[in-house]
Amino acid sequence: MTPAAIVPLGAAGPIIPNYGAGSSSCAVRNHFFCTDWFGHNWGPVLWPALRGHIVLTVVAVAIGFVIAMALALAAHRYRVLEQPTILVTTFLYTIPSLALFELLVAPVGANVYSAEIALVSYTLLILFRNILAGMREVPTEVLDAADGMGMTRTQSLLRVELPLALPAIVAGLRIAVVTTIALATIVYTIYDAGLGVPIHTALGEGPFKTELIAAGGLTILLALVADGLLVLVQRLLTPWARVRGG
Amino acid sequence: MHEFVEAFRFIVHDGAVAGQPALPSLGYLTLQTLKVGVIGLAISLVVAIPVGAWLGHLHRGSFFAINTGNIGRALPSLVVLAIGDAFLGLGLTVVELALVILAVPPVITNAYLAIDSVDREIVDAARGMGMSAGQVLARVELPLAVPLIFAGIRTASVFVLSTTTIASLAGFSGSLGDIIANETSYHFSGVLGAAICVAGLTLAVDAALAFVQRALTPRGLRLLAQERRASTRLVRALASAGP
Amino acid sequence: MPGSNGRRRNHHRAGALSVLLVAALSIALAACGSSKSSSTSSTSTPAPAASGPGVGKPAVTIGDKNFSEENILGALYAEALRAKGYKVTLKDNVGSSEIIYKALTAGGLDMYPEYTGVLLSAVAGQTRNPASATAAYRQAKAFVEPHGLTLLKYTPFFDSNALATLPSYASSHGLKSIADLKGLGRSVKLGAPPEFATRFEGLPGIKQEYGVNPTFVPIAIELSYKALEGGQVNVQNVFTTDGQLLSGKFTLLADPKHVFGFQNVAPVVRRSALATEGPAFAETLDRVSSLLTIKAIQQMNAAVSIDKQTPASVAQQFLHANGLA
Repeated sequence: MTPAAIVPLGAAGPIIPNYGAGSSSCAVRNHFFCTDWFGHNWGPVLWPALRGHIVLTVVAVAIGFVIAMALALAAHRYRVLEQPTILVTTFLYTIPSLALFELLVAPVGANVYSAEIALVSYTLLILFRNILAGMREVPTEVLDAADGMGMTRTQSLLRVELPLALPAIVAGLRIAVVTTIALATIVYTIYDAGLGVPIHTALGEGPFKTELIAAGGLTILLALVADGLLVLVQRLLTPWARVRGG
Repeated sequence: MHEFVEAFRFIVHDGAVAGQPALPSLGYLTLQTLKVGVIGLAISLVVAIPVGAWLGHLHRGSFFAINTGNIGRALPSLVVLAIGDAFLGLGLTVVELALVILAVPPVITNAYLAIDSVDREIVDAARGMGMSAGQVLARVELPLAVPLIFAGIRTASVFVLSTTTIASLAGFSGSLGDIIANETSYHFSGVLGAAICVAGLTLAVDAALAFVQRALTPRGLRLLAQERRASTRLVRALASAGP
Repeated sequence: MPGSNGRRRNHHRAGALSVLLVAALSIALAACGSSKSSSTSSTSTPAPAASGPGVGKPAVTIGDKNFSEENILGALYAEALRAKGYKVTLKDNVGSSEIIYKALTAGGLDMYPEYTGVLLSAVAGQTRNPASATAAYRQAKAFVEPHGLTLLKYTPFFDSNALATLPSYASSHGLKSIADLKGLGRSVKLGAPPEFATRFEGLPGIKQEYGVNPTFVPIAIELSYKALEGGQVNVQNVFTTDGQLLSGKFTLLADPKHVFGFQNVAPVVRRSALATEGPAFAETLDRVSSLLTIKAIQQMNAAVSIDKQTPASVAQQFLHANGLA
């Protein structure tokens, strides 16, 4: 079979180098965890994936927070908006991630926008619920006191209600962040970013244990670290609200 | 948006693809997904509800119950499935194991909080009437806890169906995810059609559970107030329970 | 007054809250900005060579599909062009054939490497197999040309489905081609991923063309060679460019009726890009393609999937050894 549409080769054909120079026998034999592979591939594979994962999460939660805050403030003012908002956000939350990503690819394309729209959708329910619940927790006596001090509605909101709602808001942020980090592992099916990329590569190679454990471990670690950071943030911002037990 | 038109055509033709006579039909894969999901959910509920409810009844183990939920949330479905695949191979048993691992945490947390947050006065009144601990749990606490327990079941059902489709990415064969993972054979119209079916299936299951929830909720219980009270409890509990 | 301290503290807390909100928003905006450049994905844009026919030409974007052989091809073409001074952005893992083809026609990409048979079946929607490699190439080229695209020269290697077996099994049953399996009937255990059982380029096809009727055993792709060596199957569906075939431990059965089609690779490229980038662009790509024999690709696949090296580093080593980078 000599296809006519190729440039004729030199008699010797291509020079094939010895690729063995950079390989690791531990990886070839697919041992549990190969530290040399990990060290070698942190820079080109794992760190870019981790960095991309963090960016995906932060953007999604930030945008989700802004939208949920707006919705919660509106529902706080006009009770009638609460049920429809819960309905819509629950609807979005119920669609499995793989399906939602593919559904968005049709109108939006297989790009970062589809990924972010989906990730944002999943944060809305929990953030909306928690922000609203937090604001509702504020005792009416406090609101009356603020009113009595002559605060406008906006001032009361910014100086009294939202700060007192912080524990609930941060609790919601914690859940949203952890959920988004877990969901972002699926982003690779439509857009080349996140820790799902090395997981996908590893799955296709045996599965390749070291890469799987590295990428999977990083995802879980990221979630736990982010959760811990938010708890710290909450403690810093609301030292008066330390409620023990429960 | 012609892709949606083609996707609907795919659905209407039960997943037939030109030039590929022997692909499994859409209906078959939908039923398979449902089967795998129902088994996983059932096992999870059998394990998690008794544990969570009993702990809630005793008002103990809140740290465990709430942090199980936190840790469960931090486990990506794909990672659990991939680890299962790497060390145990990906058969139905391993997929069901992954489903149980992922679905149990939210159910335990919700069952615990649901029972724990039942008005103590009501429980005391029941005790005062001479009910045993088991009777209090079964006849008083559980019925009052139905809304929040069902919230947990519905969350778990979404996890379960979602993970069943993701299992196909890890190499499992026997769910609608097979289509989504196999765009080469089914083309994008098939993938989109399968995605629509997955969404539809999950929403239908959720609606069915909502119906059951309504049927099981004792009459005279003001649902919105109950849910609001329970979700406040959940929020407060999460706010106080750090890592 | 007891309230004044409280008010100041509340003010402080509210201030902290608004700082948090502003910080969140600015992180979001900064991240949006940075994700438009290349920090989220493995899109890479290393600096091109300082001299060469590509210097001064407009930047070009190459994509590849989401499996390692395509990643290797993408890296090969991108690095070879960069060595000639072209500014190249490589987008890895763009998606499946349909998605990447759509990206190409929409203008998001200028080129990507495609398999002629896959172009015909997945993109053109053809259901009949072409009769030869050149026919497949010609039909694929004819399909893309009305869309402002063209195919450059195709590679010597082809990555088609194949059936492999152990040399001991082949010699004891006198197997040279798939047709020879007919006599063994159901005693032959044939392993393959589930889609093999349903695609024409799979079980139905070989049953029809060769009259074979093996027992089908579903085996996931990554477990192919393990299953074959372990005796779980007698014959296994593999790909002609798999790195494992270099070990000499496996024999491929011939497919004289070409049930598995033709899958040589050719870069699909926008004609407008060819025009603006100059003749050296296509020449460089053709030169790379000409070097890609089956052995060369098998070695690269082995380095990536068995030795777990990255496609980029493997491509770099190959080009360097052949004086192209």
